Amino acid sequence: MAALFTLAVLSFLYKDNPIFRLAESLFAGVSLGYFVGITLDQTLKPNLFEPLRTNFNLHWDLVIAGLLGAFLYMRYVPRIGWIARYGLTTYVAYYIGVEFTRKVHGEVLPQMARTILPVRGFDFSGFEAFFASPGMLALCAIVGTYSVLIYFFFSREHNAVTRPIARLGVWFLMVSFGAAFGFTVMGRVALLIGRLNFLIYDWLYPIFGL
Amino acid sequence: MSIVDRLLAIDRRWIFLFVLMAVTIPILLPLGLPVTTTGSTRAAFEYIESLKPGDIVWLSFDYGPSSAPENDPMAEGFLRHCFKKDLRVVVCALYPLGGLSLANSSVAIVAKEFPNKKYGTDYVNLGYKDGAEAVMRRLGENIADAFPTDVHGTPISELPLFEPETVPVERRTIDRVQVKAPGSEVRMGIRTIGQFKVVFTAATGLIGEYWITLVNAQFGTPIIIGPTAVSAPKYYAFINSGQLKGMLGGMKGAAEYEQLLGRKYPELSKFYMETRLFTGTKGMDAQAGIHAVIVLFIFLGNVAFLLARGRERKG
Repeated sequence: MAALFTLAVLSFLYKDNPIFRLAESLFAGVSLGYFVGITLDQTLKPNLFEPLRTNFNLHWDLVIAGLLGAFLYMRYVPRIGWIARYGLTTYVAYYIGVEFTRKVHGEVLPQMARTILPVRGFDFSGFEAFFASPGMLALCAIVGTYSVLIYFFFSREHNAVTRPIARLGVWFLMVSFGAAFGFTVMGRVALLIGRLNFLIYDWLYPIFGL
Repeated sequence: MSIVDRLLAIDRRWIFLFVLMAVTIPILLPLGLPVTTTGSTRAAFEYIESLKPGDIVWLSFDYGPSSAPENDPMAEGFLRHCFKKDLRVVVCALYPLGGLSLANSSVAIVAKEFPNKKYGTDYVNLGYKDGAEAVMRRLGENIADAFPTDVHGTPISELPLFEPETVPVERRTIDRVQVKAPGSEVRMGIRTIGQFKVVFTAATGLIGEYWITLVNAQFGTPIIIGPTAVSAPKYYAFINSGQLKGMLGGMKGAAEYEQLLGRKYPELSKFYMETRLFTGTKGMDAQAGIHAVIVLFIFLGNVAFLLARGRERKG
């Protein structure tokens, strides 16, 4: 089944066809059904239904959380859609609070600290050694970070000083995007390799007794 | 039609066919191309090598079947490394769509290769828990709050890996009202994520980032990440800031880790050469082939574009 559905999905590369449509619809439906099942069994049941059922006196506050979640679905009823705003507001506010600390403490501050680097330790023994030396790497990091930040500073128009620095920042950005694109290609190709490896070794080879 | 027009008007299905051939031929006829290692993978490997037998590590399956070709080899390679080093491993899954089944299958595959490893003492599978960030916060306070039982339903206080001990409890009162009866209770020696030597997260999406920005930032636990290649570029910033001990970027990272394992442990080198399982190293030949095809088509496309532009300027 897995092999046939893999071939059905790959058939789209030749032309759109009903077999591909069938596989696509099945995939979407089964994924959604699986996710609904997982949510009911692994999220709602152990975190909401079971605590309320086994010890309501201790877990009565979960009713509020359950109601806030249910409020989100009120937007499908036009007359009482305004109730959904309460659930959405709580949801957004919670995530802002959680993400704010996480982002600042876990990303912004440590990485900002990492851009405060001593520019020393150049190695002039050779071409490769020079560009791999700590001083050169620190210089690249500092120049790259600040030129990109200047590029993204839109509050004032770039002048004769900031314009070339911003242009340098664009070069750094383009190199970064190129590297990210290369990684993306490698990632997508890896998935194709996995699928073809499955088709060959787990499907065709056993059919031919190999 | 000139050759430039043919190149610019080439049917994309020919390109798909070339890509298919570039991937299939190396799978059918392995080339055995060498795999070079990068600093981030070597850092991860050397960190695990620095651990002592009996140290406890956490392995989190934070990916689903959609990225299994990339993440499975790295998770299984890490597990093999831990078993070779006699480290104690706690496994969990935080990805909702298929994370648990991948964790179960990978643990079963590797455990079969190490029959001397005992479930409950050398490794434990805690199963899946929904909530990612909320789970990580609870792990920092008490693992048993987040995972009261393992995947088989056994309370984790009964698993030897968590070093449970029965301690006497004295009667406790508040304002002469008894709040705790005398008796005994089971306390676990391994209670929080902060006691683990490292967390390895094989991740797709944001869950890997949560381990770094929550668990490492708040509890100080070292993190090694095995992201998909699509996510790998953003984690270099975390490596440079010292928030990550190492990274296995995509299938290439998995192949590099397998190379390092093979160099250090010859029996694993033999295993990786003979196994029918899908490994990162096996995928590298096809990666090299397809990258060559992509570079060739980019080159041809640019040549055709420049020739067409030159022709327009002339005429």
